[in-house]
Amino acid sequence: MGLPAMAANEGIQLCVFDSRRGHQEGQELDKILFFFPSDFPYSVQLSVVGLSEGLITFTRIFSPDAACEVIEEERHSHVFYQAEPDIWMVMIVEKNKDNESDWRCDALIDVLKEAHSLFTMFNGSLQALLDKQPSGELARSRLYTFINDYLSDFYVGKKIQVPSFRDCLKERRTVQMLTVSREVAIEVQSLATVIGTSSLGSIACKSLILFQDLLVATTLSPGDTANMFTYAVLRLTPHALSSNTSSWTYLRRGVSGSSITASSGLLNSRSSPEEYHHGSHDSSMGEQSNRYHMPRPLQRDNWSKGKDGFLVCDIQLNVGGLVYLAPVVWLQQSEEHMYLCIYQHRNLTIIVLIPVCSQTDGEQGIALVKKQLLENASEKIVHVEEKLSRGWGGENAYHVSGYRYLLVDTDKSISRTSPPGKVMTLAKDSLFTLNKLREEVDLEKTRANREKPDQEKNLEICIRAKNNSWIIAKITQGRELYMVMEKANETLLYASDAVEKFSDRYCDGAFSLD
Amino acid sequence: MDSDDSVTDPNPHHPDPSLDAEPATVEQMGSLTLGEAGDAAGAERPVGNGFLPADFYAAAGEIEVVEEGSPVSGDLAGPSSLGGSGACRERSGRGDALPSPSSSGYAGERGSSGGSSEIEEADDRETMLDDWSRGKRHPDEDDGSVSWRKRKKHFFILSNSGKPIYSRYGDEHKLAGFSATLQAIISFVENSGDRLKFIRAGKHQVVFLVKVPIYLVCISCTEEPYEALKRQLELIYGQMLLILTKSVNRCFEKNPKYDMTPLLRGTDAVFSSLIHAFSWNPATFLNAYTCLPLSYSTRQAASAILQDVADSGVLFALLMCKNKVVSLVGTQKASLHPDDMLLLSNFIMSSESFRTSESFSPICLPRYNPMVFLYAYVHFLDVDTYLTLLTTSSDSFYHLKDCRIRVETVLVKSNVLSEVQRSMLDGGLRVEDLPLDSSLRSRSLTTPELSSSQTGIGGPSGLWHFMYRSIYLDQYVSSEFSSPISSSSQQKRLFRAYQKLYASMHDNGTGTHKTQFRRDEDFVLLCWITQDFELYAAFDPLADKALAIKTCNRVCQWVRDVENEIFLFGASPFSW
Repeated sequence: MGLPAMAANEGIQLCVFDSRRGHQEGQELDKILFFFPSDFPYSVQLSVVGLSEGLITFTRIFSPDAACEVIEEERHSHVFYQAEPDIWMVMIVEKNKDNESDWRCDALIDVLKEAHSLFTMFNGSLQALLDKQPSGELARSRLYTFINDYLSDFYVGKKIQVPSFRDCLKERRTVQMLTVSREVAIEVQSLATVIGTSSLGSIACKSLILFQDLLVATTLSPGDTANMFTYAVLRLTPHALSSNTSSWTYLRRGVSGSSITASSGLLNSRSSPEEYHHGSHDSSMGEQSNRYHMPRPLQRDNWSKGKDGFLVCDIQLNVGGLVYLAPVVWLQQSEEHMYLCIYQHRNLTIIVLIPVCSQTDGEQGIALVKKQLLENASEKIVHVEEKLSRGWGGENAYHVSGYRYLLVDTDKSISRTSPPGKVMTLAKDSLFTLNKLREEVDLEKTRANREKPDQEKNLEICIRAKNNSWIIAKITQGRELYMVMEKANETLLYASDAVEKFSDRYCDGAFSLD
Repeated sequence: MDSDDSVTDPNPHHPDPSLDAEPATVEQMGSLTLGEAGDAAGAERPVGNGFLPADFYAAAGEIEVVEEGSPVSGDLAGPSSLGGSGACRERSGRGDALPSPSSSGYAGERGSSGGSSEIEEADDRETMLDDWSRGKRHPDEDDGSVSWRKRKKHFFILSNSGKPIYSRYGDEHKLAGFSATLQAIISFVENSGDRLKFIRAGKHQVVFLVKVPIYLVCISCTEEPYEALKRQLELIYGQMLLILTKSVNRCFEKNPKYDMTPLLRGTDAVFSSLIHAFSWNPATFLNAYTCLPLSYSTRQAASAILQDVADSGVLFALLMCKNKVVSLVGTQKASLHPDDMLLLSNFIMSSESFRTSESFSPICLPRYNPMVFLYAYVHFLDVDTYLTLLTTSSDSFYHLKDCRIRVETVLVKSNVLSEVQRSMLDGGLRVEDLPLDSSLRSRSLTTPELSSSQTGIGGPSGLWHFMYRSIYLDQYVSSEFSSPISSSSQQKRLFRAYQKLYASMHDNGTGTHKTQFRRDEDFVLLCWITQDFELYAAFDPLADKALAIKTCNRVCQWVRDVENEIFLFGASPFSW
């Protein structure tokens, strides 16, 4: 929708609405739980929601099970995500004339999915928040701070930049693993065991161990691991903490310095969420903060490293007069609340999750866990960190000369990619073509899932593009390989051989012909 | 009626069901020709092409699109009733006693498949078994019917004020509410300064094409690529223009609420058969036409006589057999766009009345000039073969009739017609006949090679099918379907796979790709595009890459060796 107001804006709109609310005439605004940019006129916000709801209803005439997912217009793309049974997230992205705005709809939907799963991890479901407080005030204020904080990572300069075709060798919502030798793996394992048992009483803690921005070990389910990993790379790892260095992982983009300026201005300059209540409430932002002491786990500079090696979350300690413990997260798999306790030694980040229900005496309990951790594991931690540092190949560790690739294990939510610095050397046309190919493959995958959900999809596509690069996609046994080879020979057989070699060497032959 | 169209004919030697009806048709033609003469004599008054009510002509007359005084005998059950042509219409109208060749031929099959009751599946079966050439299917349905909602592929034409103009399924008037919804969606976006391309919901895709004041919409769960569906809407729009010209827009300028449905009354069969072509005719996505294989001398003979008449004031002279071109000649520098040929042949073949008499009918070639009517003289020389003479002059009926008589005489004398019929029976290139190596190149396709076990259709080198498109000629050749893809559902699957491959090769901001290899559960597909040609080949899913590449090279060589027989040379390619 080429809304007139948009020209001057960031070029994206993000909306969260509840389709059960605001059915009465004059109450339509009540549907809207979140809208970015929040200074958009209500009339525009309503027309976005109106079109979205209208098309959801319309598409259900023909497709009752799967309503509207994508609207493609000449100048805008709209992507839809049904986050919860009645809660929809819609993102509208404007296409620029500079030819840079070509994206995969699934990559955009992944942004919505990621935002929602991170939100849920810290706040529980939106439905639960709405049940707790039917006026929607709580849900709105939580969404307002959370999504704005989340979006701050997408700022490049003063503009929000959504994942484009240049990001086609990346897979959001997956975990990047560090490959370690067998010997080191055993030591990491024993460290994880020690952490798991260093809790109070009989209740075991869960843990994630990261080296740099890569996962080394986890005792969480794949879904929870992916969420926690994403959060860690966004805010907890040494890279994330030192805001002046830009991370080499793709989860953080742009130069953080400018992001912070943009994001800190974000909340102050925009209207407060109360405006959504169109006059029915008159509480100020400050009062609201007190009432719900809104935790802002995605706020930048929230975390800092304390002297004892544990990370301290500033904002929780500042909430006026309230005793606030470590942040709490909600695990989908085990459906329990866990305290978040993070220890960092050089490049090693250890996230310990302590069941809330085990802690009757809050602060003291956590302090005890921390103490035990230091007593029992600090030696091991130092040792493991040294070993990992020694074996660490640097940010180009996973570069394979001649190849630019993305390898995804969909079952385990794991991916490995060529280092971003290397991907940047590819010609625009190569990335453009791979992006198109991935869009095609996305459709084939969803189609296969729909038609034969229990059957593994097998697909191989090799394209020689106009610029002579080979663009390849291979799917087999729940694994996906995407590849660009720019300096390969012109024959298809040569390209196939190259894929085969890569597969044998780096994928245990998963993509090789037997 | 897949098997009726030779491109997709799984059993080329199976007697064409429509041949059964031939004697009756011939007889009918004779009587109608007589009737026609009387008709033409009395046709001094303004008449349309039989589709259009008087008010349209009143409007069109003002803008000097339709000239008066054209003797028209072709009538497709249009609402207008005009003096002398009445006798003719009674015979050729919808309630005609003339046995429909297609329906009689398929009566048995329809009975045998009566068990199918699932609506989702219905589409596939119905396209084969139902007599789509008869027009509207399921007119009793509307958007409230479950069966209507479950149709696999809907097409709608509506005006930008929301008035329904055409719907593939259901009665247009009952769909007024639905049509208004579509209009509201499209206009909402238009009003914001943008334009809707498509909406995706699960396996459904809603594709929009805006040609103000006309909106076209496709709602489909066939999972065809957006580009393919959009092109289908373009063709539907083109088909509408072929019948009405773009001057229909004037009606909406005068009255935005104008009800256009009467203008298209009686043309359901034309649209149904075009929509059916979207699932079997490669011309719908390849931007090319195909020729009937004929020896070079035979085609030369046909071209010579067409050239002869073209020099006497005919814009285009076109001899076709079903959807395949025998020969085509145009005057001056004019050339026929492949889309215009597709739409014209679809129009002629799906309109029963063209078969029953010689006709002179105003038609518009949208790619040639969407604003004006040309006049088409159409005469079927046998059941499948028809001569079309296009002119700009509305009063050249008798001249064109004379031309046709000359052409027909020559074609009969020089055995071209019998060669055409023989070629129809023989079919086109067969993958089994692919020559083994270059030493055998000189052999022509009329003396097929003995197929060897190595070149067979199974095994690691198993070539199942191919399509070759010559870029300069705007022509393609498609092989006959081999045994691994003999069923119509397999053929449709291959057709859709090609369609996807075509879109994937062409749809990108960086220019056409050079090669593509694609392997899935159904096929190995190879596409190879150069400056001169595009090759699309389908292999056994277990095919070996190296062998498949070799086979493709052999196919290209083979096509070049027999190009004089499978392509028409000398027709100026479309070039503006």
